[in-house]
Amino acid sequence: MTVESRRRLMNNIALALSSLAALTGLFWLVFILLDVLINGIRGINLSLFLEDPAPPGIQGGGLRNAFVGQLMITLFATLIGVPLGVLGGTFLAEYARGRRISRVISIVSDIMVSVPSIVVGTFVYALMVKPLGHFNGWAGAVALAIIMIPVVLRTTEDMLGMVPWTLREAAFALGAPYYKVILQVVYRGASTGILTGVLLSIARVAGETAPLLFTSFNNSFFTWNMNEPVSSLTVTIFQYAMGPYEDWHTQAWAASLIITLFVLFITILGRLILKWRFGGSAR
Amino acid sequence: MEVQDKELEVRGLNFYYGSVHALKNINLPVYRHSVTALIGPSGCGKTTLLRCFNRMHDLYPGNRYEGEIIFEGKNILSPDIDLIDLRSRIGMVFQKPTPFPMSIFDNIAYGLKLRGIKRRTELSERVERALRHAALWDEVKDKLNEPAYSLSGGQQQRLVIARALAVEPEVLLFDEPTSALDPISTAKIEELAVELKREVTIIIVTHNMQQAARISDWTGFLMLGELIEFDRTDKIFTSPSQKLTEDYITGRFG
Repeated sequence: MTVESRRRLMNNIALALSSLAALTGLFWLVFILLDVLINGIRGINLSLFLEDPAPPGIQGGGLRNAFVGQLMITLFATLIGVPLGVLGGTFLAEYARGRRISRVISIVSDIMVSVPSIVVGTFVYALMVKPLGHFNGWAGAVALAIIMIPVVLRTTEDMLGMVPWTLREAAFALGAPYYKVILQVVYRGASTGILTGVLLSIARVAGETAPLLFTSFNNSFFTWNMNEPVSSLTVTIFQYAMGPYEDWHTQAWAASLIITLFVLFITILGRLILKWRFGGSAR
Repeated sequence: MEVQDKELEVRGLNFYYGSVHALKNINLPVYRHSVTALIGPSGCGKTTLLRCFNRMHDLYPGNRYEGEIIFEGKNILSPDIDLIDLRSRIGMVFQKPTPFPMSIFDNIAYGLKLRGIKRRTELSERVERALRHAALWDEVKDKLNEPAYSLSGGQQQRLVIARALAVEPEVLLFDEPTSALDPISTAKIEELAVELKREVTIIIVTHNMQQAARISDWTGFLMLGELIEFDRTDKIFTSPSQKLTEDYITGRFG
């Protein structure tokens, strides 16, 4: 066998193996999405959004409480997590740039990203549920915020790092103090990147179940009160899918579809913003 | 030309990047309403010297000045100088155009707003004056609200000059302002520099010796952190007193 033909053979084997691996991954992804789509679409109707759950075993009812609960928890998680993440990222990229503490925090934050979310859930349980004696919506929002912070922090740090130094120098050369340079020039330059990071972090936490199981838990009744247990789509899916009623299963499928579409929408929005800003080279 | 006033005077200036001794005992006058060019091979310290005039080195830790730069009777290297005030009176234009990610109008108004000017009419008036000054008004008057990035490189550089001019500085520092531009844009910037010296004092760092010869009145030649020679530009380019200067401008090294 000549060198050339052996190389060609190796190339073909590598190509075949990697294509197979990619196809395997894709197959299951499409399978899952189609399954969610087909089963979920059957359960979607107006009462799903407008009615609260019927008592167990009774036909009908909806998941209005879970939709509202999910939105409230996600909203408050964003309100807590995003400012902390953006400020932390700003500290790392601007005030601590090149210092040891910046690298240490970056690494810790990368570890935080991969901490199992159930650990975050139990942590917040010990902090905010046990002392109060009951599950509550705030604890759920805090648990999701803790998951968001490292994602937002690292994106902010990276995006601020991409703003050229000469731009900061130009602002300094006009006599601007550092905080105005950051607020008025650097943030503007990095705004779309940071916004994308925020959207992706929302998408990341919107599908979390484990941290909510230990914190906001679930509520069969509609509530605006974050001091009470608050229902969420993900925990409802968990509970309904395990339940004995056919009706519950259908609603769980529908909820799965809705939350998948929500995450997909947020992700696509994030990608579109990146693409629009960086001219096609979405990363 | 008769004896001129000094806008700035550098006296016994030493500058250190950490332990690196980058400028060695520089003494140099900068005359009012003239163009002073700083030339020399790469790494000679000409940009380092330029960045001493607006204390740009203060942004980075470990940098140290010794000696004096006198501006209006005060040593601007002294620690108690107000850098915000200093930088509004000694403006700077960088090698690459540095428009801010905002509209053309807001770019020019940026320095004015920093000075606390908020009235819309006054802002508009001063933005227009600055843009006319920088010979850019006619090209941008119909699109003041468009992003500054939509301009060409040469226009961006004139925008940045207009931005620096808007706060009416006494001195403008140019750090190789045309090295990223095409010849036509370069010619426009050079023309502008000569025009502007009626109102401001200009110090320009350049790699391009023809440029120094074309637009400057005074030239300082630096090498390895030392000021080898300082004199009128025509003298430097026709009969320099130092052998090193002659070797450099005739292209024997650098």
